[in-house]
Amino acid sequence: MMRTVEVLFVIIIILGAFMITTQFAVLPSPRQIFGTNLRELAVSTLQTLDAKYNLSRMAFKDASDPEWAAMQKALSASLPPNIVFNLTVFSINSTGGIVTYQLVSSISNAEGDLGVGSESASCLVTSSDVTFGITPEKIGGKKPRTLYILNCNDANGWWITGYTGQSLASDLKNLLSPYFQTTILINSTAQLELLLNNSTQIGGTKQNAVVINTFGEAVPIPRAYCQGGSRESEGYSGGSYAKYCHTLGIKTRVYNWTWVSIVGYPVYYVTNTNFFTGSSDQNTYGIYGMKQVGAAGLNNFLRGLDNQAYSSSDTQWLTADIREQLQFTSEALDLSNYYGIYPAPSPMASRALPVTGSLSIVSRYHLTRRATMFELKTVSGVQYCPAATFSHTGGGALTAIGLTRTPDIRITVLDLLMYYRPSIYKSEFGASDTSRLVTLQLSQQGGT
Amino acid sequence: MAGPTIDHMVSIIVLVAALTLSFAIYNQILANAIAYERHRQVAMKAMDLMDIICLSPGNPPDWGRSDCAPLGFGLQDPESAGYMLSPYSIMRLMPLGGGGLVYYPKTGSYYNNFSLGPGGSLLVAVGDSINYTTTARLLGVNGSYGFQISITPTLNVSISQVPASYLILKVKVRGPGLPLSGATLNYYMHQVVANPNNSFPLIKAQSGVAQTDSAGSALIEFPSIDDSSDAYSFVVYAHLGGLNGVGYYSHDVLGGYPQFIVPFIKNLEQGTIIIAHNWDVHNFGPPVPNVFYNATFLVLTENFELRPVQIVNSTGQVNYGAGKPYNTTQVPASESGILFISYRWGNKFGTIMVPWGISTLGVSVTFGDNPSDREWVATELRQVIVNGMSYQVKLAVWSLKD
Repeated sequence: MMRTVEVLFVIIIILGAFMITTQFAVLPSPRQIFGTNLRELAVSTLQTLDAKYNLSRMAFKDASDPEWAAMQKALSASLPPNIVFNLTVFSINSTGGIVTYQLVSSISNAEGDLGVGSESASCLVTSSDVTFGITPEKIGGKKPRTLYILNCNDANGWWITGYTGQSLASDLKNLLSPYFQTTILINSTAQLELLLNNSTQIGGTKQNAVVINTFGEAVPIPRAYCQGGSRESEGYSGGSYAKYCHTLGIKTRVYNWTWVSIVGYPVYYVTNTNFFTGSSDQNTYGIYGMKQVGAAGLNNFLRGLDNQAYSSSDTQWLTADIREQLQFTSEALDLSNYYGIYPAPSPMASRALPVTGSLSIVSRYHLTRRATMFELKTVSGVQYCPAATFSHTGGGALTAIGLTRTPDIRITVLDLLMYYRPSIYKSEFGASDTSRLVTLQLSQQGGT
Repeated sequence: MAGPTIDHMVSIIVLVAALTLSFAIYNQILANAIAYERHRQVAMKAMDLMDIICLSPGNPPDWGRSDCAPLGFGLQDPESAGYMLSPYSIMRLMPLGGGGLVYYPKTGSYYNNFSLGPGGSLLVAVGDSINYTTTARLLGVNGSYGFQISITPTLNVSISQVPASYLILKVKVRGPGLPLSGATLNYYMHQVVANPNNSFPLIKAQSGVAQTDSAGSALIEFPSIDDSSDAYSFVVYAHLGGLNGVGYYSHDVLGGYPQFIVPFIKNLEQGTIIIAHNWDVHNFGPPVPNVFYNATFLVLTENFELRPVQIVNSTGQVNYGAGKPYNTTQVPASESGILFISYRWGNKFGTIMVPWGISTLGVSVTFGDNPSDREWVATELRQVIVNGMSYQVKLAVWSLKD
């Protein structure tokens, strides 16, 4: 009898152990593990309903607006029949640094709470009435610089395939004029002559100005600087218009201009469609109204910039063809985000300028490389710079964007902004209730 | 002496019975726990796979627009974020069971059939498609988990004809939950008519806007169209509160003959489409139609407008047999739209539409293996957008090691 009693004790111990074990070893309900992933379903539902901003629009409408009813129908129709929902919109208010959420309205296809098994997801939507504005600092500060954009109607462009100088001038004006106190379009080569001669008939301040040549590898030349013109000695010499490029270099230094070449080999042609009207006055590719200057143009521009004498024999080709994609410098990437200008990534450069070696424009012409847009590339042991602004120690600068055509003027704009670094002041204005929180709660009906 | 012996025997019997019972109960608990753990692993794998499929574009990201083999699998639109799928990547999936492969002897190639309804066709070269085994390998589940992806339009837009003396079409819009009342319908009717100057058919297009009633239905009338004698294709886009869907309906006047034209997508990257004579695909015997066709590519804009775009070889003639080559046209591969082909043989007219990007005609795709006879299958459901159209992606995953 004693043994039976002992065994009964053992059974009681086993049953006790079993009871204690079952208290701790509680398996979750099947739905908790294997049910539909309601949270992700809610996230994807919110995202898809807001793909064309329907949800954002609705969230800022009055609860009686038909868009709320439409959203309820859309939710009911899109979710499986066994899933109930509750979509709630909260307004976000900030008073004295304390953020509060206030219920705006909600729609649901269930009566009462959705239960503890429900899952929810939320997203912030922004009112379309909110305007985020930026106020750029004017380049030059208290001595604001003037922006001159060459828009000559009597000039042709080259390497700006798909555009005209005039269309590029318009785009550049739109992009850059907020950063300048004064923006002036130079609408003809006659006006360009006035600019070069510091005439008061052209507005703005010539000193310290920025001059953008929108005609690619060609540069407009006033008639006076052409052969037989009143200023022939400053524009034409020995059968070449490289003299004109030398004059441009001098003017750039004297007036402390930043001369901007938007694409290709700078000042490779001169153009004046009213003067160059002969059958041979074309760039050898069938674009008439221009004369080829060749590599002597840039060489003499830089000589003029460096206060060196004109040389008709300085015809050394400078640029290199980079046969790989370029990478933005970290500085360019940072400032791209800062200014909100995003050029096409990874372009190619076929007119990159040498910055080391015997042909280096930096050492030969006393230039400082600044606002380097792309990482330097090495060709045959020489480093080449695809796009940067080269400032001269005695005044003046050349922004040379030596990329392959067609031009991306966003690179020009970004390089200029990198060079001058104007600050931008961001502001937000509009209604105070600019963001709202939308939560979508889902619950599965039926089953265990 | 007998008392202690009986005592021992009873105690042993009771002990053994108690131990057996407790072992059985513990065994049941352990078996349940192991099953739960296995199922949880499958459920977690289903979530992981769904995230990879819907939230990554794969590698290279634009593999859907090229004919290269992807190195990583994902269906997200590389030009978008979130639950936006590429309509082109989905076109490269080999439908479950090949969808009934179609062989075209003149190219010597097989084509996957995405099984659209009458008036629609989506036949993609098998060489451009990726199969289940490759996808499973790219997802890292080959041999360990099986899966099936179903990509279906959220809205079912069905169209039927209402008996009348002229053409009246009834459009019904409903989702998985309820009919969609108050939905705006943008519809486009392309009627095929004879050209008095040549044998190529002409297309008369008309469009309009309607709204569904409380039952999710709308009646659209075309008094100028006689259903008994006119061939036409009707496409309708329904939208409400961010939910978008599409449906189409087609009617041919072919005198009992099968459709004359079969379009094959020859190259997805270049957008080349073969316009083949149906008798070259299935030999129906004489008489053989001498078919004149007129093809137009209709780009679907963000506002649900169909904008016609010029394409090469927009008109042509195809016939059956040796020495009668097929024609090829090319659509802009980067634009989602519909290649609309109207064709004619004498007084017989017909139409066929090819969606470029699955969403423009609301094509459903089922890709993967068959989960039937599996002990346990985990499913995931997500709402997605495919080129502006609302779709649902359902993923079923099961373990292959059970």
